[in-house]
Amino acid sequence: MEVEFSKENFLLPEVKYEYLDHTADVQIHGWGTSLKEAFEQCGVAMFGYMTELDYVSVEHCFEIEAQGDDLEGLLFHFLDELLFLFSAEPYLVCKKLKITKFDLETFEISCRCYGEPFELGKHPQGTEVKAITYSAMQIVQDTDACNYEVFVIIDI
Amino acid sequence: MVVRPYNDELKYLEKVSDHCWRIKKGFQPNMNVEGCFYVNSRLERLMLEELKNSCRPGAVGGFLPGVKQIANVAALPGIVGRSIGLPDIHSGYGFAIGNMAAFDMDDPLSVVSPGGVGFDINCGVRLLRTNLYEKDVQPVKEQLAQSLFDHIPVGVGSKGIIPMNARDLEEALEMGMDWSLREGYVWAEDKEHCEEYGRMLNADPAKVSMRAKKRGLPQLGTLGAGNHYAEIQVVDEIYDKWSASKMGIEEKGQVVVMIHSGSRGFGHQVATDALVQMEKAMKRDKIETNDRQLACARINSVEGQDYLKAMAAAANFAWVNRSSMTFLTRQAFAKMFNTTPDDLDMHVIYDVSHNIAKVENHIVDGKERKLLVHRKGSTRAFPPHHPLIPVDYQLTGQPVLVGGTMGTCSYVLTGTEQGMHETFGSTCHGAGRALSRAKSRRNLDYKEVLDKLDQMGIAIRVASPKLVMEEAPESYKDVTDVVDTCHAAGISKKCIKMRPIAVIKG
Repeated sequence: MEVEFSKENFLLPEVKYEYLDHTADVQIHGWGTSLKEAFEQCGVAMFGYMTELDYVSVEHCFEIEAQGDDLEGLLFHFLDELLFLFSAEPYLVCKKLKITKFDLETFEISCRCYGEPFELGKHPQGTEVKAITYSAMQIVQDTDACNYEVFVIIDI
Repeated sequence: MVVRPYNDELKYLEKVSDHCWRIKKGFQPNMNVEGCFYVNSRLERLMLEELKNSCRPGAVGGFLPGVKQIANVAALPGIVGRSIGLPDIHSGYGFAIGNMAAFDMDDPLSVVSPGGVGFDINCGVRLLRTNLYEKDVQPVKEQLAQSLFDHIPVGVGSKGIIPMNARDLEEALEMGMDWSLREGYVWAEDKEHCEEYGRMLNADPAKVSMRAKKRGLPQLGTLGAGNHYAEIQVVDEIYDKWSASKMGIEEKGQVVVMIHSGSRGFGHQVATDALVQMEKAMKRDKIETNDRQLACARINSVEGQDYLKAMAAAANFAWVNRSSMTFLTRQAFAKMFNTTPDDLDMHVIYDVSHNIAKVENHIVDGKERKLLVHRKGSTRAFPPHHPLIPVDYQLTGQPVLVGGTMGTCSYVLTGTEQGMHETFGSTCHGAGRALSRAKSRRNLDYKEVLDKLDQMGIAIRVASPKLVMEEAPESYKDVTDVVDTCHAAGISKKCIKMRPIAVIKG
């Protein structure tokens, strides 16, 4: 669902993700000072594989919701929602994600997704993401050190 | 996973012939049957190295080596015969890519596993012939490559140009290539040369989520990205002149077109949805597997049946997809040579599915049994006289299309009686990755790869520059090793070798 947003005081987050080795696929490693941030980073990283985010400007904002049975399931469905946002109307490429609701009891997420529809000619074509997988999925939560990390393999 | 020192692991593996290894029970827990894999000396080294690397103590993350995955599949309920690794095998999601396994349909505990089919349901290869020769195409090679690239939508975010609405999609999912025929995109004889005649009859679009349909609609008639491609190839070698002539290939230099694509976002979503459903079914039915990725459901359960019906719809999607690109290819050629596809004799030689599960009858322990055969990164290769292959190929055996990688060669093989006995009529599907994508990007240079292709006289049009490194021939096993192994092991027979002169990729 598209929502209104103001471009004033709009800040892009710093990059806290990388792509790791895997024979046929790619593993995304996202991190942050909160689990929420690690999730957001992981989501943006996925879009970064599909195109080059430097070419994406923030023109629209869509809100998505995701739910899982456990933490891994929540991450899986969160990313699956984002992939769907790209694969069908509105074909959105996100440059920034802002999780507005992060409920770890009911495992629910609401997230604002900032970006613009993918456009051939404007956005370089990267690699297509086929699916999100549970394969070697890891969620590291070190509350003492304020260090949170997620590892997800996406099928490409 | 059982982790033992490498030398202890080797005790469970036995080389039974020059090209076949046996995986004994106990290699992984609860194996119902033994495993095996086909390799030659070079591929054997790759295979064992992968296993050795996984035996390092204290390794975290990482992934299961192909051999371990074959053994985990051998532990699934209802499996019969052996869990089989083909020469192009490499580690994949749950099942390795290049793994085939058959399950007894009459055993109520038998399972179907979406991981045994793959995310790209009915990914496959189609080969079109022409009556052109290399000398006809060489002068216009670049223009023809550009024209194909302009006709066929490729790469991330590209949309199909075949007019389609939601109702058309429903019909296409149900009818497969019959839809393409009705709408005038293919010729009636194209269907004859397709596995299942381009239509799985048990497809039920009602078992497919709205999300899958929404992902699928804009992508119908698109090539996709990754390892998918359309190539203009030239016949480089004919090993079996008689079989080749049955396929309309008369001599060296003849031009053919190979299309490698699948069911796009539609199939990916069907697989994703099924995996989520099956996780729940596994808990309910208390199905234990060695690996969480081997999500599966009993064939006779609601989830199992729903998956098979949705998978069939995705298979139909893939056939319509390849058919739409066949149409576009024929148009591009006809325009370039100012004639008609008919006059260019652009017939479909064959169309294979290398990510699919099918109900087939096979002889097991001397008795005919109805089996659900999973082929993931494996191609059906039925022998001569098999009732399920078209009349034109009754005497040659089923054509098997093996796509190489950008810049290397591709092959046409034919099915053999020995393959029917040993591997449930299955053989390899392609080259199989050797390097990870990230490693390819780091180690290979974009310009070098392109220069090399240029020196080889290959025109290339690619949507994503990154992909050039990822898909470079150096990233893959040598397809000739793979095919030679299948030929030497007797599970299929070499017929034709082709080399590319133009490549169109995502």
